[in-house]
Amino acid sequence: MKISRLQKKMGDFFLNIDSMKLEPGKVHGLIGSNGCGKTTLSKLIMGILTPDSGEIDYEGLTPRDITMTSQKPYMLHDTVYQNLIYPLTVRGIRPDEKEAEQWLSRCGLLDKKNQYARSLSSGEQQKLSFIRAMIFHPKLIIVDETLSNLDPDSTELFEKLILEQQEQEPVTWIVISHQLVHIRKICDRVNFLEKGRLLAEGTPEEILMHPSHPSVREFLSKTEIFYQNDGDTQ
Amino acid sequence: MEGMQQIFSDFFSTVGVVDSIRVTLIMSFWSTLIASLLGITLGFALERKQFPGKRAVIRLNRTLMGAPPVVIGLLTYMLLRKKGPLGSLRWVFTIQGMVMAQVLIITPIICGMVYSYAVQKAPAIRAFAKTMGADRKQTGRLLLREMKNELYFAVVSGYGRSISEVGAVFLVGGNIKNNTRTMTTAISTLKGAGDYYEGVFLGVILMLMAFAVQTLADHFRKEETGDENF
Ligand SMILES: Nc1ncnc2c1ncn2[C@@H]1O[C@H](COP(=O)(O)OP(=O)(O)OP(=O)(O)O)[C@@H](O)[C@H]1O
Ligand SMILES: [Mg+2]
Repeated sequence: MKISRLQKKMGDFFLNIDSMKLEPGKVHGLIGSNGCGKTTLSKLIMGILTPDSGEIDYEGLTPRDITMTSQKPYMLHDTVYQNLIYPLTVRGIRPDEKEAEQWLSRCGLLDKKNQYARSLSSGEQQKLSFIRAMIFHPKLIIVDETLSNLDPDSTELFEKLILEQQEQEPVTWIVISHQLVHIRKICDRVNFLEKGRLLAEGTPEEILMHPSHPSVREFLSKTEIFYQNDGDTQ
Repeated sequence: MEGMQQIFSDFFSTVGVVDSIRVTLIMSFWSTLIASLLGITLGFALERKQFPGKRAVIRLNRTLMGAPPVVIGLLTYMLLRKKGPLGSLRWVFTIQGMVMAQVLIITPIICGMVYSYAVQKAPAIRAFAKTMGADRKQTGRLLLREMKNELYFAVVSGYGRSISEVGAVFLVGGNIKNNTRTMTTAISTLKGAGDYYEGVFLGVILMLMAFAVQTLADHFRKEETGDENF
């Protein structure tokens, strides 16, 4: 997927991505400070927002191939199970109850199958929205901070789910997270956004371990521990 | 005992109590039904569509929500009377005419409520529908389903207005016994004749109906706010 000269104004905020590429079947991390435009960019790709100008070349992907889990996931006024199978219902697919139950059981929600989804804790809602995004085998999955709110076990589980998926049947991912340890573990590529611009792109190693852009260094020095100061004296 | 029964049946037949209840129910059923269809459609459209003058339309809607029913009644009467632009319908002093006046009163109320709810809830529902790959039709159905408590509440509020309204119904319907006399206009008639107790009796029935409707509304209201996860 290719993004070129994408522009979007949101109040005082201006998103301006000159060029960005997503490689099919790869996991892309999207990092940057609060308000740098990560969610806005995701919504543009998802088609929830329309760009002021510029182009997104989906290279054959249709809207039904793309999904996104939001920072505050929407839960239908219905049970956990009904929420999980909603994307299947939309596609006229008869849900396989056994398979659905396996998904639920993997993230510890099986005994809550018939509970009202809105009564789940926010972490549980995020887990549910995550497996709801995976269950119908989309080709591009955007995960907007779904993992930030999870306990260590669940975070690990989701790393595993993503990596498993990539082994079996690779799909394209955009993972937004402030947990850089996590980004480093699961991503093939990392994109760094600042004030609506894409400042750096590369492998996790390049971006997180040996950042060359001063803004990335600045960002990492404040947030994370593992960036190695390549000979800079302080 | 005999005497009591006599008094009671006199009261029922002279004012036409049974018919007034019937007329109230028929009128409020149709006016609520039509106003709900119009109000829900318009409320969603108002939230969805961008057009020049939208703010003015919203302000007009808010104004109409609080418009005195008797004024709407007068306007409807002028439209419907023999020499009026809609005189050929022959709806003056008929239930149809009363329904028309009430539709004009209630539609802005339902539309305004639906609009406010839609502004709060619809964008998130639409965005969610998109992430799930729902098409237009599925998205529309999802909106109705996800907002059904709010929609019920708006409809029930409209219904409550409808059964309790008196001014417009009086002007357009003419308070004709066994014909266009409603419970509310029957009460005014009883008051005019000095039959206060009978008026109160009818009033109690009306209040019970309003109470039932309000209970229903509160029920939906509670469900709507009871499930937020802050
Ligand atoms: N509807 C809107 N109207 C005005 N400004 C908006 C709107 N939506 C977003 N913005 C602004 O756009 C900027 C980017 O927001 P965005 O949600 O994309 O940030 P983010 O990178 O996802 O941040 P976070 O890490 O906090 O989730 C913010 O400064 C925000 O205030
Ligand atoms: Mg965000």
